[in-house]
Amino acid sequence: MISNPELELHPAKIIQLNKQREDKIKFFKAVLLDIFFVFYSILVLQRAIYYKFILQLKDIPFSWGEIGVIFIFSVMLGTIWAFTKTSLSCKLFGVAKENKTTKWTVEIFGWFLFNITFIAGWIITRLSIVDLFSSEGIRGAERIFGSLFRPEMGIFDDSLFAMIETIYIALLATLISIPPTLLLSFVTARNLMKDNKFTFAIYYVLRIILNFVRSIEPLIWAIIFSVWVGIGPFAGMTALLVHTIASNAKLYSEAIENIETGPVEAISATGANKIQIVWYAVVPQIVLPFLSFTIYRWDINVRMATIIGLVGGGGIGTMLMQYQGLARWHEVGLIVLMVAFVVWVMDYISAKIREAIY
Amino acid sequence: MMILKVKNLHKIYKNGTHALKGITFDVKEGEFLVIIGLSGSGKSTLLRCINRLIEPTAGSVYFLDKDITHVKGEELRKVKTQIGMVFQQFNLINRRSVLTNVISGKLGQLGTFSSVFEKFPQSLYDEAYKSLETVGIKEKVDERADSLSGGQQQRVAIARSLMQNPKLLLADEPVASLDPATSNSVMQYFEKINKDFGTTVICNLHFLSLVRKYATRVIALKAGEIIYQGLPSEINETWFKTIYGEEAEEVEIR
Repeated sequence: MISNPELELHPAKIIQLNKQREDKIKFFKAVLLDIFFVFYSILVLQRAIYYKFILQLKDIPFSWGEIGVIFIFSVMLGTIWAFTKTSLSCKLFGVAKENKTTKWTVEIFGWFLFNITFIAGWIITRLSIVDLFSSEGIRGAERIFGSLFRPEMGIFDDSLFAMIETIYIALLATLISIPPTLLLSFVTARNLMKDNKFTFAIYYVLRIILNFVRSIEPLIWAIIFSVWVGIGPFAGMTALLVHTIASNAKLYSEAIENIETGPVEAISATGANKIQIVWYAVVPQIVLPFLSFTIYRWDINVRMATIIGLVGGGGIGTMLMQYQGLARWHEVGLIVLMVAFVVWVMDYISAKIREAIY
Repeated sequence: MMILKVKNLHKIYKNGTHALKGITFDVKEGEFLVIIGLSGSGKSTLLRCINRLIEPTAGSVYFLDKDITHVKGEELRKVKTQIGMVFQQFNLINRRSVLTNVISGKLGQLGTFSSVFEKFPQSLYDEAYKSLETVGIKEKVDERADSLSGGQQQRVAIARSLMQNPKLLLADEPVASLDPATSNSVMQYFEKINKDFGTTVICNLHFLSLVRKYATRVIALKAGEIIYQGLPSEINETWFKTIYGEEAEEVEIR
């Protein structure tokens, strides 16, 4: 018999070692999270509650040195706290001691965090009931609402054309997004890429890039592209296209990650290669979800195309922005009603199509 | 001649479950070996370690006197083409036709290009029809796989594995999701393949009546260890209680 190095270790020992390594990683994460908790609490207490609320300062003093001192202090306190194994994060990661101290720390500090966050939020948003119900404000709102419901029909033709432009911007962005999205979704699906170090690296890098692209709102992309290719429908379409690719690649790849593994197992048991497995066991399972996501995305894109128009992406949004700037609320009313109607119809159609194909 | 030798096989899952604890056994060519044991005793893991759907933690597997425990890539695929496998949940491609499903059994021996564009030679279709004939559902060839009943789906799955011309056929609880009558008819196809083609069969089963009817030899697993090896007729009341626990009572399936 061939001697196998792994057999030298008793299986129970392997389990124990695995567990120890896992606990170490968990504890490390707990330390980092505890440091963050302490850092966050001090910052919120000092800056939002003390400076802004208690001292009512207009200009809040800021220096990196001060932040640095607070950070170093948090690192020390957080680390010590985590090493007592009774901290909030230790409990969250399941490496805490099970005793009364832990229970009390978790409860007290948990409430503390929740409350300071809520209070800081209240202060920062300048939540004010008085403003909401001031008589002057309400009169202004009445004026606008009144105009919105008495729309100016004189610009109906113009706004209809702008609306059609918007729908086409959305449609083209969706259609062009399909091929690159397909390609990206396969190489960003964890279950297809994880077996090999090289492919896993590709997966990882692409995921980061896609997350980055997705985290930039279409509105920002529209601003970028209106400088790049000039203000107009093309900028709007490109902005939507970029965001659609990034978002749908994520949805598609998640669909790939959630397929039934049975057929994959069966096909790979026949000795099929990677491409054959994907083509025979993965693709048939994801065609319908892909179609459904794409149709839904067209629907979303019509809504987004309107918003993008606000920053010069063409279509109905640009028109809306012009009339809003002139404070011509009757015209704005017509445009808003038209957008609402089209969005409602699109929503209905896309829901029906998606129902039909499943 | 020994077609398969398993030596001191261990499998420890990442979550710490020790599923196989030193399994050792041999399989002769032409045998119909049945593995029994409770759910979670390691039967499925054992089968999947043999054709490397799961990587064993330690120990070795010899197929046709060749150590296949550590083969990789192209060589592993070649080994896999010689071992057929049938699953409890059939694992067919639901949205494709029966014919495509059967042909997919041959993928290991086909080129990537021709399989993606589905350009197959006539001989391959003939072979697929022959496989379907063996399991008696040639008339369903153009239907969608998910429109068939459970028993029919399992027969398609058997036809798919027949396309490999396997020397060894693994069956992971092939009748566990079927009714008793269908179970028996599906088992008869395994027997037919075993007798007519001389294919060695290793099959996980739950029902002892089926074991007694079809097995030429039995291995019983309990908590990842072999606790019984022998003829099906030798499993008496005492052995039964040892394998399935004191509480168990035998149910008859005809």
